Amino acid sequence: MREALEGSQAIARAVALCEPDVVAAYPITPQTHIVENLSELVAQGDLHTEFVSVESEFSAASVVLGAAATGARAYTATASQGTLLMAEVLFNIAGMRLPLVMTVANRAVSAPLSIWNDHADSMAVRDSGWIQLHATSNQEAVDTTIQAFRITQETELPVMVCMDGFILTHTMEPIDLPDRMAVRDWLPPMAFSRSLDPERPLSLGMLVSPDYFPEIRHSHHAAMQQALAVIEEVDTSFHSRFGRAAGGLLTVEGDPEAKVGILAMGSTVGTLRAGMAHYVEAGPARLITLRSFRPFPAEALREAVEGLDCLIVIDRAISPGLGGVLGTEVAAVLSQSARPPHILNHALGLGGRDIPETVYVDLLDAGRDPDAPRFSVFDADMTKLAPEDR
Amino acid sequence: MTILTRSAYGEPGTSLDFKTGNWRSTEKPVHIHAKAPCHGACPAGEDQQAWFALLQEGRVEAAWRALVAANPLPGVTGRVCPHPCETACNRKALDGALAIHNVERWLGDEAVANGWAYPVEEPPADAPVVAIIGAGPAGVSAAYHALRHGMRARIFEAASEAGGLLRSAIPPTRLPRAALNAELDRVLSLPGIEVTCRARLGRDVSVEALAADHAAVLLAPGCQEGRDWDVGGSVPADHHEGLALLKEFMDHGQFPAAQRVIVHGGGNTAMDLCRLMKRFGVGEVTLVTASGLPGPDTATDDLINVVPRELEEALEEGIEIIPHATVNRLIMRGSKVVGAEVASLKKVPGTDGRKKRVTFEGTERVRDVDMVIPCIGEMVDPEGLHSWINRGYLRPSDHWGTLSDRIYALGDARGDRGTVAEAIGDGARAVAAVAARLNGGEATTDTRAELPASDLNPVYYPPAARSVAPKLPVSERTFEAEIEGDIGHEAALAEAARCLSCGNCLACDNCWTFCPDSAVIKTAELATDGSFYLFDLDYCKGCGLCAQECPTGYIQMRPE
Repeated sequence: MREALEGSQAIARAVALCEPDVVAAYPITPQTHIVENLSELVAQGDLHTEFVSVESEFSAASVVLGAAATGARAYTATASQGTLLMAEVLFNIAGMRLPLVMTVANRAVSAPLSIWNDHADSMAVRDSGWIQLHATSNQEAVDTTIQAFRITQETELPVMVCMDGFILTHTMEPIDLPDRMAVRDWLPPMAFSRSLDPERPLSLGMLVSPDYFPEIRHSHHAAMQQALAVIEEVDTSFHSRFGRAAGGLLTVEGDPEAKVGILAMGSTVGTLRAGMAHYVEAGPARLITLRSFRPFPAEALREAVEGLDCLIVIDRAISPGLGGVLGTEVAAVLSQSARPPHILNHALGLGGRDIPETVYVDLLDAGRDPDAPRFSVFDADMTKLAPEDR
Repeated sequence: MTILTRSAYGEPGTSLDFKTGNWRSTEKPVHIHAKAPCHGACPAGEDQQAWFALLQEGRVEAAWRALVAANPLPGVTGRVCPHPCETACNRKALDGALAIHNVERWLGDEAVANGWAYPVEEPPADAPVVAIIGAGPAGVSAAYHALRHGMRARIFEAASEAGGLLRSAIPPTRLPRAALNAELDRVLSLPGIEVTCRARLGRDVSVEALAADHAAVLLAPGCQEGRDWDVGGSVPADHHEGLALLKEFMDHGQFPAAQRVIVHGGGNTAMDLCRLMKRFGVGEVTLVTASGLPGPDTATDDLINVVPRELEEALEEGIEIIPHATVNRLIMRGSKVVGAEVASLKKVPGTDGRKKRVTFEGTERVRDVDMVIPCIGEMVDPEGLHSWINRGYLRPSDHWGTLSDRIYALGDARGDRGTVAEAIGDGARAVAAVAARLNGGEATTDTRAELPASDLNPVYYPPAARSVAPKLPVSERTFEAEIEGDIGHEAALAEAARCLSCGNCLACDNCWTFCPDSAVIKTAELATDGSFYLFDLDYCKGCGLCAQECPTGYIQMRPE
């Protein structure tokens, strides 16, 4: 029987299924319900973990850093400003190559203050060296969370599971939570090759001279590249054990003959999928869902766009002065293809602006317009701006 | 029961003051325990949803008790029933109907293995006694249900053992005698049931004499009398009728020698006979049937009337089936059959507006065969029943089996039955009618509406594949070994977990979770309507979210 669960509640239950040794998190909208539900599970005796109440995200990240270094299975969650307050520690966690799982309930970053969803927070720590996986639905977020604990163990790289704030975290969805024993069976007990041990003293995150730094970054990059295969394998293994996959590196759906493609991450995909089903007359499209933003699946992406004349990349973030983040990366990767599609990049839904199903029609229309800009904040209403800002 | 909801104790001046009043949408939610389609389709009257619910709670013995409230022989029906419940199952549109027969059989066998006691008590010594003719499934069921209604039962059986056609006509490969005997013995040894074997109607007992000193006489003699058969007037000298041949084989283990056989008919007897003869060494066995085989072009009322998995197994074993065809002519050398002309049938409009089947001219083809065996159904042996028989059968006037005051007809002898489950249901129904009359009332039927699949919300049910019972490979099939195996404890519980609980509350909390006005209240104890929820109509806005998200269709929106 599937249960009707709020996204946050489902994530808390999924984390509990993975039986973490240490949980430390500081509440921030829209992540709060995840931590609340976890503390409730602890209070009810359904989750046996060291739940550390902390006074800030900096501390939360630091606590789980320490816990992970001792070989404990550790978990934290954050959003928006919290992510930024953690930023220094996040780079440390990744640089020390510690296994850790963190949920980011994606939310815009101030100023102006916005509690609503976009991807500015996880994009801000894009280069921290964490694996970043995006979920399109709560079921995928649940399954990806469980997978993340296995991926982090196998790769010894920290994994960030990104889910859209409010749109996913605060929405009810029928969720199939796997059986506890089945998860215990599928997820190996925590093991970390470099865990701290008083018998074998070790220093982590030490000063490194220029003699070694480039090699360390190179090996980190190489480890991220190797993680691509692990992410795929873990999803396949999950599928064979639990009967459903969570999106591999990326997935391709829609009309395979279509000449136009749309690429997106997160809950936007659900909206586009509904739009595609609803507005058939708008024409066919190939829908590409990018799940693994870091590591970036260049090879898989090149295959996924084969045969497309035009690719519309949806960004839920903006890099002011450049344009879209995802769009720019996709263009860079596809520039190495023999026949890259024409790439259009649009930012959509910034700061929680609602993305309606009709966006599917509007995007395809814009794709056909030879004068359409290569980048735009697609849903910005220019009439709200002073003429000089348009 | 007075229901005290929040409006009754809400503090003045809080938002609880703001009640919905008369501006609710035109509909309000109500709990309706609709009939699950399996229950509606079961000729034995089982409520499969009810016992699956108990299995989902892990209460295996309680599930068996709920099952035998209707059907005392689940180990038998789990093996031989064509399971119309599965045809009706709402899950068939999702990922396959529940394999109800597998679980029913397993429960029946568990009860035998564990010696679970039937939920009946011995009626008092002076309780009314019903006389039952025939210890087949209808008679045994009637005797058992008599106990449930506080009556005693006295069965008269012409054969030397109880079982009726379960013993005489169903091969042990489908119904092992150990399984049959175990269940029959357990029922027939219940205190309050008395069985007299070798008591033949018309010779040892008479309906009139029994009626004189019993509360009622229930006639369940089955059908023993072959019909006359010929093809265009010719009857071979070595003519054998299908059921008689099958019974002879069960007694003596012999078939007449033949190399090529046509069996003409379209029921389980025909199918059993085909398979046994093939196994016995008959080179070519062909079934010629007027009905169609399952497929996109075959209407449901045109389907060959056999247990679907039997059909599948028969094809595996190499039985040839010619659908929509008839034996048009026998080719005789002297009085011996040497061939048969088979012709296809086509449908033409009949005089009464219904389609009828006629020979499709030009499709005639001749098959070289040594035997043509008709399996065209049997009629009631009229001995001792002359005054009740009407065109070969007892033909009662109603659903309860009423023939006349205190005399009822059950099972195959009615003339409108054909399965063990129907016979078992007839036993229950006739006894219910007798009991109601003794109490000065009338028996009632379950008139609730069935829950259509469209009232379910399927998203809450994760996909789960239908269980498949192990089967003997064709090369290992003998005359004795049971072909289908047991699915076992784990698979049975997994199958039970697939039940969608059509029309019945699962206590999933969806209504409580989704209600935007907190107008669904959870109760600590079972509420009078059988659920753990109440609607606080003072605050319900009639939005219908609860009904939409109810997985089982138990919540329905109804006009105020």
